[in-house]
Amino acid sequence: MRAEFWRIRIARILTGLVLAYLLAPLLVILPMSLTSGSNLTLPGPGWSWRWYELVLSDPRWLDALGNSLIVGLGSTLLAVLLATPAAVALAWGKFPGRQFALALIATPLVLPIVILAVASFSFYASAGLLGSRLGLILAHAGLSAPVVLITILASLRGFDLGLMRAAASLGAPPLTAFRRVLLPLVAPGVLAGAIIAFVISFDEVVIASYLTTAEQRTLPRVIFSGLRESISPAIAAAAVLLILASTLLLCLAAALQRPKDR
Amino acid sequence: MRPPQPLRPSALRGQVPYLLMLAPLVMFVLVTVVVPVALFLFRAIDNRELQAGFPQTAAALSGWSQAQGLPPEPAFAALIFDLAKAQEEGRAAALAARLNQAVPGSRSTVIKTAKWAATADLQGASLREDVLDQGKAWHNPALWSVIAHETGRFTSYYILTTLDLKRGPEGQLQRLPAEEALFLTILARTLAISLSVTAICALLALPVAHVITAARPRMATLLLAMVLLPLWTSLLVRTVAWIILLQGEGPVNATLQWLGAVTEPLRLVYTRGSLIVTMVQVLLPLMILPVLAVLKRIPPEQMRAARSLGAPWWMAWRRVQLPLLWPGLMTGAGLTFTFALGYYITPRLIGGEKDQMLSSFIVFYTDKTLNWGLAAALSLQLLVILALVAGLLAGLHRLTTGRVR
Repeated sequence: MRAEFWRIRIARILTGLVLAYLLAPLLVILPMSLTSGSNLTLPGPGWSWRWYELVLSDPRWLDALGNSLIVGLGSTLLAVLLATPAAVALAWGKFPGRQFALALIATPLVLPIVILAVASFSFYASAGLLGSRLGLILAHAGLSAPVVLITILASLRGFDLGLMRAAASLGAPPLTAFRRVLLPLVAPGVLAGAIIAFVISFDEVVIASYLTTAEQRTLPRVIFSGLRESISPAIAAAAVLLILASTLLLCLAAALQRPKDR
Repeated sequence: MRPPQPLRPSALRGQVPYLLMLAPLVMFVLVTVVVPVALFLFRAIDNRELQAGFPQTAAALSGWSQAQGLPPEPAFAALIFDLAKAQEEGRAAALAARLNQAVPGSRSTVIKTAKWAATADLQGASLREDVLDQGKAWHNPALWSVIAHETGRFTSYYILTTLDLKRGPEGQLQRLPAEEALFLTILARTLAISLSVTAICALLALPVAHVITAARPRMATLLLAMVLLPLWTSLLVRTVAWIILLQGEGPVNATLQWLGAVTEPLRLVYTRGSLIVTMVQVLLPLMILPVLAVLKRIPPEQMRAARSLGAPWWMAWRRVQLPLLWPGLMTGAGLTFTFALGYYITPRLIGGEKDQMLSSFIVFYTDKTLNWGLAAALSLQLLVILALVAGLLAGLHRLTTGRVR
């Protein structure tokens, strides 16, 4: 049993190291973004919020944040509007070709992002939507709609169509049945899908760099081009803000998706 | 699989509302993604420009081959005719760009010749000498050979180029000379980086998955959250974090210096090492999660039974547990490998010039040199590899699960 003891010990140490490796980069940039100096060194000369103040006051960063929010919300709304009815159709419909339709809708998920970006570039260029927020909203909606669809499909899987019939047989008009029975059951899935869609758009950089000009730069786009020039603590601060935003949102989405005890 | 049911018109009629609900999303994806991607990939074989560009010249060149040196007089007259027409119709610049891809350095000569051809007074002059005076490019039989051979609606030129091949003077396949060959190296590099990242991920995922499975529920949840957290932060941000960590004055170098391991900061960023370290960190959760999912379903009694029958731990693990783990490892490897193959941001930001993968070159040819045909051919190559890997994994999956049952 001695060998067994050591084996477990070694596995635990290895796991600890691997988890440290997974988390370290995220944890280390937090103190680095709080430096009062203008270089990314550790330990810094002192602590300060100055880089966060810069990111939250410099028009370059603020405009980017505004663009990111507009594009994120717009593409999320569009993705949810497109994906929700489609998910209901795929879950309850009995028509042939549903698997094919699902595969088709999932194309943006399996394509390498660069190919998707180049194809989007030529499409939105021919549609005259290059360098506009609308073009990026549409492109991001295409990227996130399949994810929303899959999330809603998962939440519909547990839903029994019989519940709707039961509501109808008890005299509920279709709209009431929809509002009181279907909506409460599907809403968490839709909301979780919406959050994930927003995070996808909020983090996306390759399509954004093909479709936008300086005016519609999103937050990741500014980080991406800032990196090529010089790495300042402002980038670390912006990165920390992005980490916090997407982690909080995705925790919320995970909580919404957790199967409830009924 | 259910047997296909015959479609009764009445049954389908009830489905119309569902079809109407599905239609907007399908149309949206078709119009904004599927069709644009297909049109882009089509550029890999599209030869409309050259086909429409030199009809007369190509006809005049029939029967001529590159081995005979410069073509006969009528080809020069036809060339002037074709180029003058292209100039009038505004296609000359695109033609010059296309010829320049096949024979580098010919662009300016072609543009100049087209301008001249559209305006020149050609009465009684020696057309051959006049054309040859326009620039060096026309002295090169290879340029004439392109016009003579690329006459079809489709071209294999771009796809051959991505395989480091070209057509010889007689149309036979030739390897590109070593100093021009580029793309097989990139392909091999892309595969090598993706494979090593996948292998490292698999090795690191195994102990983590085992420890999480054996942990008490609360601890397991905490450990799982630690795996998920990096997955939930963006690729860009994680790459940024690694650049900050590994840079000259970064924490890693500072620690090494403080320990006295090095006297001068090491160059850690923009190397193959930094690229692989970052990619493994980014992709590892995608390997851990499927392995974990499979491992959770294996009853621990199986290992205990094997051990109690006298099998050493290693043999018990290899003979009992590993075969059951294969499906999870395969899924994880498939996810990791296919994601890695298409990587762009991470190699771009943290890799050196010699660490750029296929995607970076697709960007290069669309962004910098506007050689869309070559970019499309490279994309096609990437997609073919992805399809092959997916097919191979599906086959392996069927084999391994078949054996276990």
